[in-house]
Amino acid sequence: MAEMTYLEAISDALRTEMRRDESVFCLGEDIGAFGGAFKVTDGFAEEFGADRVLDTPLAENAIVGAATGAAIEGMRPVCEMQFADFIACGFDQLVNVAAKLHYRQGVAVPIVVRLPSGGGFSGGPFHSQNPEAWFLQTPGLKVLTPATAEDAKGLLASAIRDPNPVCFLEHKGLYRHVRGEVPEGEHTVPIGKARVAREGSEMTVIAYGSSVHLALEAAEALDEDIEVVDLRSLCPLDGEAILASARKTGKVLIAHEATRACGAGAEVAGLIGEEAFEDLDAPIRRLTTPDVPIPFSPPLEQAVLPQLDDMKEACRELLAY
Amino acid sequence: MSSSRTDSSIVEVSMPQMGVSVAEGTIVEWRKRPGDWVKADEPICDVSTDKIDVEIPSPASGRLTRILIEPGETVPVGTPLAELDTAAEPGEAHPEESPSPRSDPSSGPPDSASDTGEAPEVDRSSFYSPVVRRLADEHGVDLGRVEGTGVGGRVRKVDLMDFLEDGGAKEEPEERPMHTESPYQPELQPAASAGDLIGPTRREQMSPIRTQIARHMLDSRRASAHCTTIVEVDFSRIARRRRELREAMARRGVNLTYLAFVAREAVAALERHPVLNASIEGEEIVYHDQVNLGIAVALENGLIVPVIRQAERLSLEGLAAAIGDLATRAREKRLHPDEVQGGTFTITNPGQFGAVLATPIINQPQVAILDLEAIVKRPVVVERDGDEAIAIHPMSYLCMSWDHRALDGAEAARFLAGMKRALEEGESE
Repeated sequence: MAEMTYLEAISDALRTEMRRDESVFCLGEDIGAFGGAFKVTDGFAEEFGADRVLDTPLAENAIVGAATGAAIEGMRPVCEMQFADFIACGFDQLVNVAAKLHYRQGVAVPIVVRLPSGGGFSGGPFHSQNPEAWFLQTPGLKVLTPATAEDAKGLLASAIRDPNPVCFLEHKGLYRHVRGEVPEGEHTVPIGKARVAREGSEMTVIAYGSSVHLALEAAEALDEDIEVVDLRSLCPLDGEAILASARKTGKVLIAHEATRACGAGAEVAGLIGEEAFEDLDAPIRRLTTPDVPIPFSPPLEQAVLPQLDDMKEACRELLAY
Repeated sequence: MSSSRTDSSIVEVSMPQMGVSVAEGTIVEWRKRPGDWVKADEPICDVSTDKIDVEIPSPASGRLTRILIEPGETVPVGTPLAELDTAAEPGEAHPEESPSPRSDPSSGPPDSASDTGEAPEVDRSSFYSPVVRRLADEHGVDLGRVEGTGVGGRVRKVDLMDFLEDGGAKEEPEERPMHTESPYQPELQPAASAGDLIGPTRREQMSPIRTQIARHMLDSRRASAHCTTIVEVDFSRIARRRRELREAMARRGVNLTYLAFVAREAVAALERHPVLNASIEGEEIVYHDQVNLGIAVALENGLIVPVIRQAERLSLEGLAAAIGDLATRAREKRLHPDEVQGGTFTITNPGQFGAVLATPIINQPQVAILDLEAIVKRPVVVERDGDEAIAIHPMSYLCMSWDHRALDGAEAARFLAGMKRALEEGESE
């Protein structure tokens, strides 16, 4: 085991997988000579050569399209979007080509699209989004949202080995703020399995990504018997784990930094409402960013993104219900 | 709007005087909840009287601090309904939204903070969540015996689990039967009642306006000897006149409808046949000098009949303007209660929805009600220069229900025939 930041764990996964398998390569904007906007691929060009760490033009559709073609030919490309927001430009290749090739022609497309997402640093409306819900409406894509350094490494390795196109959402706020013990060498975490991050019996917070940490902090601060479930994967969704915790506590708060309407939380709430209605002891609640673009102004951004106090208050309300 | 100051910054909202004949009102709905910011004259609640439904405007700008009268309650004019704090500032959080009052998590569920002037907590002692219902069923627990510690006294899952752990469910063990019932049944069980055959149903309290309509209609059916006479009217001439006049009136803000023409001719016919502009009191017929013309207006949830007083003084344009004004204000709940009383004759116009025939119920204590139905194109026989031919004309039926106690069929027929002639040939214009 070695202590790593979330960002170092992502680099470690990439490096380990590239060493393990020659067909794995990275492509993206400024990832080679410059080492990536966030330095995830720092030093990669030196170790693996420019052929396996491709600097591309600013053309996301070309990045995803080239990766899709390479994947059809047997490669395992890992695309980096400089910011998750920019995947909008690569959408057609992702949702219409990569996601549907196996359905249409039985051709596997084992690509990974890394999506640095999330706000909290005054990035404004183009550099702060959490666009996971865009992909959840596209059958054929897997969507991963790790919260810890260990999961960041293990899930990225699993994503690279997975035969499907995978959207890998790495929260920028976690890059350097979250660190933890990470297994050295090859390490995978199964896709589609949630994790009970904290055991409890009075209520459940179901969260993913940055909200997992908010939930854990709130539970500690309140010193209440709160269970925290880290979804880790939004597609496939671990319905079994969600329902088990909902049935156990009867009170569920779903938290995510993405906006509210038709977000992953709505899907989780729908599942619980359908399958665990008779076990509910309180209305299912959601703590999310309201349906607005993310403001540039720091106080405004703080006002819209869920904060620790919001999480504590939401927990208190549900506990008192 | 009446209001009184009971404190330097507290303003009372009270049940207003809504016309000479209204003594009380029922709260239908609060548009605001305690803690909401309200601007002066912004609607704060809906009130229903035995005459009309009205919106109550806020007497001042401020924060709604307390609601004193809940929806469904009926109180006399002048009764305080709610309190506003005019010293408050807009944009403050609701008391229950601010995290500070409950910052100590170890204090358990919040006590009802009535001493701080907050709105009393909603009583949830008889609301049971799905899991509580299911567990209570499974363990045969009477939930009334379980003490709730959740918000508003709600029975939480943990309350029920604690109750079960304390052996609450085992209090009444089932008694062993003394003897076994014979399987012989002397008679078959009665067949399922009609109610069972209807299937699932839903019950809803009638709105006050619905209750009023129900009573008035039934009373009228009992009071009058209803009879309905129908004539067919060719609206070709009126359609032409309407086209000629419409644009000029529209420029003056008046919508010239067919109903206005019919109203105009009805008023003229009432002056020719005063027995139809009358009411019956005991064994006397009371003739009215004025024609106070009621116009039935369909509302979302019922029907209201505002009255055009002294309609005989109004021109065609005056009537059209009055009808438009009353209908608009009726739908916006801005009628004054005095405007829905004192009618002497009523016109109803469901034809706008496409109906072609109806037998309306008389609006008591009047003796007749005229019904204008849809104007539709029909083939009719026309005579020109002695030759008969089929032509397409805009036609409609005028249906009038009248009270056979006050008049007979011949009079009703003459009344309608006069209207028909006037509408078709323009005699009285």
